[in-house]
Amino acid sequence: MSLADLIPSRFPPGFRWVGGAVWRLEHAFERAKAKDRPEDNTRVRIFVVAMAFATVFCVLAIGATHAALFSDAGKGDGYAPVTPGARADLVDRNGQLLALDLTHYGLYLDPTEVWDTAQTKAQLARTVPGLDPARIDKALRSDKRYYLIGGLTPEDRDRIHDLGLPGLYFEEEEKRVYPLGTTASHLIGFTDSGGEGLAGVERALNDDVMQAAASHGQIPLSIDLRVQGALEEELRTAAEEFTPKGAVGIVTNVRTGEILGMASWPTFDPNQPGAATDDQRLNRAAASVFEMGSTFKGFTVAIGLDTGVATPGSKFDATHPFQLGYRTIHDYHGTNRILTLVDVFVHSSNIGTARLAESIGPQRLAHYFDALGLTRPATVELKESARPLTPKVWNEDAVASTSFGHGIDVSPLALAEAYGAVLNGGVYVPLTVKKLPEGAKVKGRRVFSESTTLTMLQIMRANVEDGTGTKADAPGLSVGGKTGTGEKFDPAIRGYSTSKQVSSFAAVFPTDGPPDAPRYFVLILMDEPHGTASTYGFSTGGWVAAPAAGRVIDRIAPFVGVQRHTPAPLAVAQYVTAGKYE
Amino acid sequence: MIARLYERRWRGFRVVDLGLFGFLMVLMLVVYLAKTFGGAERSQIAHVERQISDEKVRVRLLQAEVAHLEQPGRIEALSRQYLGLQPVSAKQEIKADALVTVSGGATHP
Repeated sequence: MSLADLIPSRFPPGFRWVGGAVWRLEHAFERAKAKDRPEDNTRVRIFVVAMAFATVFCVLAIGATHAALFSDAGKGDGYAPVTPGARADLVDRNGQLLALDLTHYGLYLDPTEVWDTAQTKAQLARTVPGLDPARIDKALRSDKRYYLIGGLTPEDRDRIHDLGLPGLYFEEEEKRVYPLGTTASHLIGFTDSGGEGLAGVERALNDDVMQAAASHGQIPLSIDLRVQGALEEELRTAAEEFTPKGAVGIVTNVRTGEILGMASWPTFDPNQPGAATDDQRLNRAAASVFEMGSTFKGFTVAIGLDTGVATPGSKFDATHPFQLGYRTIHDYHGTNRILTLVDVFVHSSNIGTARLAESIGPQRLAHYFDALGLTRPATVELKESARPLTPKVWNEDAVASTSFGHGIDVSPLALAEAYGAVLNGGVYVPLTVKKLPEGAKVKGRRVFSESTTLTMLQIMRANVEDGTGTKADAPGLSVGGKTGTGEKFDPAIRGYSTSKQVSSFAAVFPTDGPPDAPRYFVLILMDEPHGTASTYGFSTGGWVAAPAAGRVIDRIAPFVGVQRHTPAPLAVAQYVTAGKYE
Repeated sequence: MIARLYERRWRGFRVVDLGLFGFLMVLMLVVYLAKTFGGAERSQIAHVERQISDEKVRVRLLQAEVAHLEQPGRIEALSRQYLGLQPVSAKQEIKADALVTVSGGATHP
């Protein structure tokens, strides 16, 4: 008989062994007495107890030694642990701060510790201007700790602390701050109070920003604050002069697709997004679509060249209006003569462009527009990227309209993306708001041949030298471009308005150099601008957008490393036969 | 010899026991002193770490303030308003090798 025999057989063998051992220990005295050696029992018990204490001591000693020598305490980077909702800093491509989390303080009141409620209320109301007195009353009547106000700066905290009032407590809280205010606000976006991105990069790269916060890293964006500053300033100046409903400015690197600057006017302060109207918060560069007008002629001409339908010297009859589908097409400034392809572009001839589009045909035009991304939202991280409005059927009517930018609504970003493929050697490269490594080679999809790019660069340069874009020229920077003036559809008259326009200028610089040379695209767009005395009342792209584009290029060229030089003579100049555009 | 040493007594107490008791007292004193000094140092380290953390918060605050003050639009507006500056025009730019021409070929005396 032993204790092991008392343990039911359903228990594991280990229990039975332990039971047996306890039984043997407990009956050691009886066995020792039976063997006439009772002192052995005492020694065994002392030994067992001593061993048990020794074992526990050793375990504790090892634990203490490990905690003392190998603990992680003090081995961190000195920052506080990452709090839930923490977000990494956003910086521009040169490391300039755009957005960061700053430690603020939440103020709590414990009414059970308050001695003088009247004094507490009066002093708090006087010291914390944003604090609602009704909230203080509610807190003072409460029977537990009560949250009064958040977002206090260290200075605010010190000021309240210096009051010496009992029952007031502070708790740290992170708050997203945009130190640049309205600068690049539409691109950067904003977050909610819980740290979730709601707009712009904050929303588009929400997960990246959260993950980078865990390692106290930064997210470098593609924009260059110097370029952004110049773009915004010139856009604001132009907007104040021509009082449009809205305006857009974009600068991209056509080789990499990086957005170097993106501005939407009117703007807002992302530190107080709730104080702005929907119109101010609207990112017109990404979330609005427009019938762009003649800037689309750049695509039609490039498609004509790439398909072999036309050469720079090809002739088009613009002597009289042209009937295509249900439309009769007129020229804004009729030349009433035979035009070369270069003339068509330089004089922005609707008739010549429609005749070219007819030769290209609906299927090929639709195929190229699709390859240029014009039938989809711009490929960019921004969630606001708007879906375009495209023709349901690609027939002659659609060709007639879309060839010069009517009947198809795209976002300014989509236009910039498509122009990138025209100007960078013929490769469609998605736009990005992330900074790419220096010298990065971006894989893209070939749309045009390199020779098409070289010819288009020359034709666009010719347009700035002799055509509708002369006001965009910047000395020594070999600027090229295309004006665009799209009449807006007015639901009130169920037709196109003659007074409401979308005026734009799509520019590129420098136009010389090999097809894969560093090259930059600049777009200035105004939604319903108003002509002034200085523009003789005109509000077309050449009058309101081209000068701003030229000034932007003039200012940003040093920042992107483009040096002034004497431009090479244009090979296509011989095809400018219709004279300088006046 | 060990047995003799073990049986040696002083005023009824084994010398070995007294020696071990003394050793225990010394160990306790050492542990007490080590913990006391260690505790003081730990609180000093915690204080310094708190200071570092506060300074980092202040540094970030200052970085944000610098970024706010250096907003391109703000700098441009101040430059125009108070200094009469404006963006450099193409006419004001010159290449380094043309500096001699601009200076009229003047040389140092």
